Order: sequence, then structure tokens, then C-alpha cells
Amino acid sequence: MKPHAHTLDVIKLNIALPNGRRLLRDVSLTLEPGEVRALVGESGAGKSMIGKSVLGILPPNVTITEGEILLEGQHLNMMTPATRRKTVAQSAALIPQDPLTALNPVRKIGPQIVDPLVRIQGWSRSDAEARALDLLDRVHIRDPKRVMGSYPHELSGGMRQRVLIAAAFAPSPRLIVADEPTTALDVTVQKQILRLIRELQQETGTAVLFVTHDMGVVAKISQKVTVLFAGKVMEDAPTPEVFTNPRHPYTRALIAATPSYADLDRPFSPVPAALIKDLHARIAQDDMLYTGGRR
Amino acid sequence: MSALFSVRDLRLSFPDRAHKPLFGAAPRNEVLKGFSLDIPEGQITGIVGESGSGKSTFGRVLVRLLEPDSGQVLFDGQEIGHLGEAALRPLRRDLQMIFQDPMSSLNPRHRVWRIISQPMKRYGRGGTKSDAIAALDKVGLPPAFAERYPHELSGGQRQRVGIARAIALEPRFILADEIVSGLDVSSQAQVLSLLKDLARDMGLTVAFISHDLSVIRHLCDNVIVLNHGEIVDHGPVAEVFERPSSEITKTLLSAIPLPELDAGWFDEP
Amino acid sequence: MADTTTSAPRARRIGPVNLRLWLPLLWIALVIAAAIFAPLLAPHDPLEQDLMLERLPPWFIAGSEPGYWLGTDSLGRDVLSRMIYGARIALIVSFTAALAACVVGTAMGLIAGFYGGWWDRVISRLVDIWMAFPPVLFAVLLVAVLGTGLGSVILAIAVIDWTRFARVIRAETMVQARMDYVDSARIGGARRMTALISEILPNILPSVIALLTLEMGIAVIVEAILSFVNLSISSDDPTWGAMIAEGRGAIHFAWWVLLFPLISLFLTVLSFSTLGEGLKRHFDPVLQ
Repeated sequence: MKPHAHTLDVIKLNIALPNGRRLLRDVSLTLEPGEVRALVGESGAGKSMIGKSVLGILPPNVTITEGEILLEGQHLNMMTPATRRKTVAQSAALIPQDPLTALNPVRKIGPQIVDPLVRIQGWSRSDAEARALDLLDRVHIRDPKRVMGSYPHELSGGMRQRVLIAAAFAPSPRLIVADEPTTALDVTVQKQILRLIRELQQETGTAVLFVTHDMGVVAKISQKVTVLFAGKVMEDAPTPEVFTNPRHPYTRALIAATPSYADLDRPFSPVPAALIKDLHARIAQDDMLYTGGRR
Repeated sequence: MSALFSVRDLRLSFPDRAHKPLFGAAPRNEVLKGFSLDIPEGQITGIVGESGSGKSTFGRVLVRLLEPDSGQVLFDGQEIGHLGEAALRPLRRDLQMIFQDPMSSLNPRHRVWRIISQPMKRYGRGGTKSDAIAALDKVGLPPAFAERYPHELSGGQRQRVGIARAIALEPRFILADEIVSGLDVSSQAQVLSLLKDLARDMGLTVAFISHDLSVIRHLCDNVIVLNHGEIVDHGPVAEVFERPSSEITKTLLSAIPLPELDAGWFDEP
Repeated sequence: MADTTTSAPRARRIGPVNLRLWLPLLWIALVIAAAIFAPLLAPHDPLEQDLMLERLPPWFIAGSEPGYWLGTDSLGRDVLSRMIYGARIALIVSFTAALAACVVGTAMGLIAGFYGGWWDRVISRLVDIWMAFPPVLFAVLLVAVLGTGLGSVILAIAVIDWTRFARVIRAETMVQARMDYVDSARIGGARRMTALISEILPNILPSVIALLTLEMGIAVIVEAILSFVNLSISSDDPTWGAMIAEGRGAIHFAWWVLLFPLISLFLTVLSFSTLGEGLKRHFDPVLQ
């Protein structure tokens, strides 16, 4: 097969609840190999839904109503569920939000990293174990052997997030979806984790879809940004451009709402209510056309 | 500037049940290791530290949800560190608290107006539905919210109800424990500016617990940096931020991802 | 304010009729009506014997007698009338015994779960000891000591089954006691007792109600068992348990004497337990 230039293409993706409420509205984005794209927005903006659509882990009542998802040029939603699962498992991985619940509490760490490598990637057990040890070492876990034999509750939150990062990078995926991987952590641990993700990602050339609500994190980790509001893309631009010259008023408002040291006398500035109202009104208009056009 | 709180040699430990021997008492984990400080009246004091630094425990000692093992807690000159529940009750009106998780701190069975008005009733400061509505108005919520249940509100709205309940008693002191950590930036900015305005208008003394130094920089007059139950830095915010005296403070400062481009950020410690 | 626009208005859900709630409710209403209006509804005196009419089959079988819809037993007593009067005893026992067990058990559970320490140790040990006895044996023993009669049956059930409430309510109280709203009530000047009654209790009420309904079903069974072994009220009085006991001997030639009380017993117990689950969901504003 001809190698595809993009790791991920999402084309006019629409997802909705059974009652017709739209969660994503014509979302398009691309991700090139080795690129980190931040998906930023407030809660309810649908930013997690994009990653979940790609990985095929949408909640049971949410369905893709329209649009295409291409993983390394392969049309995911034209596959049978079984093929799709296999394709996704082989070339994509997830770093979840909550390290406390993402690991099975009754199983040791080792098998939780090794088993998927054996089962899905078809590696031999000894290869998989060597790979797991190597990656635990790479995420700066001091005694990888001991950690492999520990249970999740014996590790701190930051340690568990490292384990999850190691597990995600272990099969050398082409794409990693990082779903708010640092919101549950202290700022200092957050910085270590972000640094780790960056290091591994640059070494392996893996593309990362980084879901976050924090414009500060966006500024540090990403090269491209997609700003979402109510399931609609507000702005899609290279990160430097977004911070030096944000085009969309909503992007500007989000940056202004994030505390910085730039202007200490400036009071806290939430996203203006008038702007939100205006955006909602436009989206309602879009929705009318959308359903109208389909009838 | 007079101090509203004077804390002297405060110590507190919890039994460590994970390491309890089969017989005998569990060993104790020292959470607060004997520190002393003053909280000036009429100002906002930030308390910052990583998880496990003892900042929330310290806050709960100030409002006397916890009793210290030893040491003094003087509130307006009166020792309250070891008062019994009955003796504390009249003082509690002045020692209010806003909690981190408003979903857990607002009783899911009660309507908003009842949540706000019950403490008012206990202290003989009204407590009718219209009093609750007046308190809601101060935090920018319309009267219709009085009839709602907590789960029918958004995160930011719940946190405002928490603020309304605290200020309805017109206290002298409010402890705000990580009150914006679960909120979107926009709701966060709303809640913080509300708190700042109310504190100024009502002449409140506020202790603001947070792990986010950038918020503290904007909101607070003073800051105390805690690490493993000890004070490692304290003073006026501008001073501590410009000349941090401890490594902990420096690390905390450099860990904040500010919303600006900074290629060298990952190279700093 | 910006975020006032985002929240949904309060709405009562009007969905399809909830059968899990309404079917059991319908049956229980029927039983309650039968109990209250027994003298009006019963076609015959439940105690009246007529050996000329013994073992008449129900209406749909040849040889039945008009007016004896569900047939008669071996002493010629009308099965339907005895069942209707039996509902009275079943309900009196189930309501009073379950309520008594509920009040005692819930109070114990609240105290143990909220105050902890010695209170918890004493109450929890008591519950453990209590539950070490097989409940039916315990009941038989108690009634044997107290003497037969409706009062003893009710007392026996309450004395045995308060532990069900105590155990569950203790665990739930411990969970609720850790919630911030309890601390926030203390910050608002509430006494510990007030926090327990006005803050925690409303949150565990759905469980109490579910357990109570469940317990009513259990009480109906226990009463039937005690009647079955002739330890409830006098064997003449119509109870479902006694009817089942009598019917058992005649199952080969008069199965209806056994079957009809058995069905109503089954439906009543099933209704109570389904209702318990349904009510729990219904009363929970968060689940709704």
C-alpha cells in the first residue's frame, strides 16, 4: 500500500445523541507524523469525543452520523467492527485522563503492559517483557522490575500516569490520543509528564492528539491547535500563530481567561457572555440548516 | 496590620492505618510539623503546595473542622484550637468555608434556597426564602435558582451557591479550599473575580488554598508556601514571586504553563 | 452571567408508564382493598364449615358450585373468602413488623455509622451475634417462648430483622458521613445530631424505603411459615400460611386449596420486592 502522508484525517465528522442533539458539527482536522495537535475547549465542547470517535470508544448511545475518519489513509468507518478494532489497536493508543481508574486494581502492572503486546501485536512474551522494561525505564521509573510486579495502588498518581504513558508508547503506535492526561495531577508532576510525552513523541515520531482545556498546556506542548466550541471548530492554526495572532474572538477570550503574569492589574476575564450567546445563536442557525437540508 | 489568626507551633498527625501493627496503636503520620504564622485581617492569603503538603489540613484546622494535636490557634485574640463543639458553635458564624467539590458539599437532597438559609436561621440572621434569594443575587444568580437542586446546576453555578451560603452569614473569615480546581477557565475567572469583589466589599479575610500559583498571583495579597507540613516561603505575593527563597517555590513557579509561547519551558527544572 | 444560560431547566420526566412500579402497586392495592373490605367482598363466612360442600372445585372445573368461585377446602370452607380474610392478617403483620424492624434497625445503623467508635463496635457486634442465628429457627424459638398469637409473630419478626436495616444503613451512613455537605453543615453551625437527622437521613431515605418494602414481603413469608407450622394465630383463623399447610395434605385431590393462597403469597412478596427497587429509583432526584 502507498504510504499516506497524514497519520490521521478527520473529515466533516458529525456525531449525535439518539434524540438528535449534535455533539460534533462538521469537525475536520489532520495530523501529520510526529505532530502534536491540541484539541482545546471548555467542558461540553466535544473535544474528548473526537479522540473517542477515532479510537472507536464512543459511549454506546452516541453515533457517528456523518463524516470520515482515516487512520494512515485507511477508512475506519468503512471497515467491519472487527477489522476496525484490530486496525485501531495496532496503530493507535490512548493515554487516559484518570490514572487512578485506568489500571485494573487487581492485576499487577507488568501483565497490564505486556498482555496487549502479545495479544494484539503478536509479539513473543519475552520480547514484550523486554519492551515493557525498556519503556518503564524511559519514563524514568527507577526500578522497572519491581514496578512490573507491583499492583496499581502501590504507586502514586504520577507514577501510574508514567506507567500508562509507557503502556501507550510500547507498541510503537502511529497515533496517540492523550485525553487530558494531566488534569488530575499537581503542577510539578504535570510538567514532568508533559516533558515525558514530548520526549517519547519526538523520539518515536508518533503523532499525538492532545485533548486539554488549558491554554497554558497548549502553548507548551503543541504545534497545531484546534479550538472547539459546542462541537464546532472555531479556529485551526499553528500554535505560534494562535498565541501571537488569534483570529477567532473565542480563541482570544480563552487565552485572556487563563491567568498569566503579563498584566497583573487586569481583573479576571471570563469569556464574555455576549460572545457565548452570539456563538450559540450561530450554531443554532447552522443546526436548522443542517436538519433542514437533510429532510 | 493586625492579624486575624495567629498560629503558633501547630502540630497535627493522623494515624497511619496502612502500617498498623496487629497489636497496639497505628504509627502516626505528621501532617503539620509545628509551624507558626499570622494571617492579616482584611486580606487574601494564598496557601500553596503540592498534594500532601498539608495545605488542606491546615485550612481545616483554621475553621476547626479538625483539632490540632498541640499548638495555639488564636482567632481575633481568642484561643480556639482546643475548644469543644458547643463552645465553637457561636464562633462558627465567623469562620466560613467554601469547599473544593461543590457536588459533595451541597446536600443533593435539599433545594438551593434551603442550603443557603438553614445556617442563617441557626444564627438568627433571617433565613426565609427571600433572604436566600438576596444572597443568590449577591453572587449573580437569578431568583429562579432558589428552587433548584444542586445537580441541576453547572459547576460554576454550584460554586457560587457555595459562596452565597458562606457570605450569607456575613462572616469575618472565609476559607476557600481549591474552589476552582474543577472548573473551566471561564467559570474559574468568574468565580475568582466574584470572590475578589466580595472580599473587598465586605472587608473579608480570606485564606485561599490552591496548587495554582498563577491564580494566587492575581488574587492574593500574601502567600504561604507549604511543603511536607512546613512553611518554606511566605510574604507578600509580589515579593515571593520575584524573589522566591526556597527551591520548592521556584519549582512550583516554573511548573506553571502560562498561556504564552516559551520554547525553553521544558528545559527549566 | 454567562453560565446561567447553560443549565437545563428543572423538568419532571414523563416517560412511558413505569410498569415495574405500577404493576406491583396495583396488586398491593388489590390486597389492601381486600383486607379493608373483607366483610363486604367475601362471599361467605371464612370460618363457616359445611361438610356437604367439602372440596368443591373452582368455577372452571366440572362439579363446581355457583358462589364458590375458587372452591372449598376439606371442611367445606370457601377458599376465596378465606384468602380475602387472610390478606388482613398478612398485611397487619407485614406493615407493623416491618415498620418496627425498620425504625429500630435504621436508628441503630445511623448511630453506628455516624458516631463510630464504641457505638459502632457495640452495635456491629450485636448485629453479628444476631445474624449468627438461622432466622426461621430464631423466629420459631421466639414464638414458642412468647406464646402464639399475632402480637408474638410481629414482635418476633421485628426482633429478628432489625439487623437487615442496621447493617445496610450503617454502611450507607458511613459513606454519607464522609461527604463535604456534613462538614459544611457543621461550618453552618449545625449540631452533630442535626447534621445526622436533617442532612444525612434524607440521603439514605431511598434505601430505607426500599428495605422497608422488601421487609414487608419478608414479613409476609415469615408469617406464612409460622402459620404453616401452626405457631401463628389460632389455626381456625384464615391465614395464607395455614391454608397452604392444610392444602398440602390434599394436593392430590384438591390442589386449589394449596394453589390459590400460594399464588397470592408469591405475588405479594414479588410485588413488595419489585416495588422496593422501583421506589428507590423513583425517590432519587439524582437518578431521575
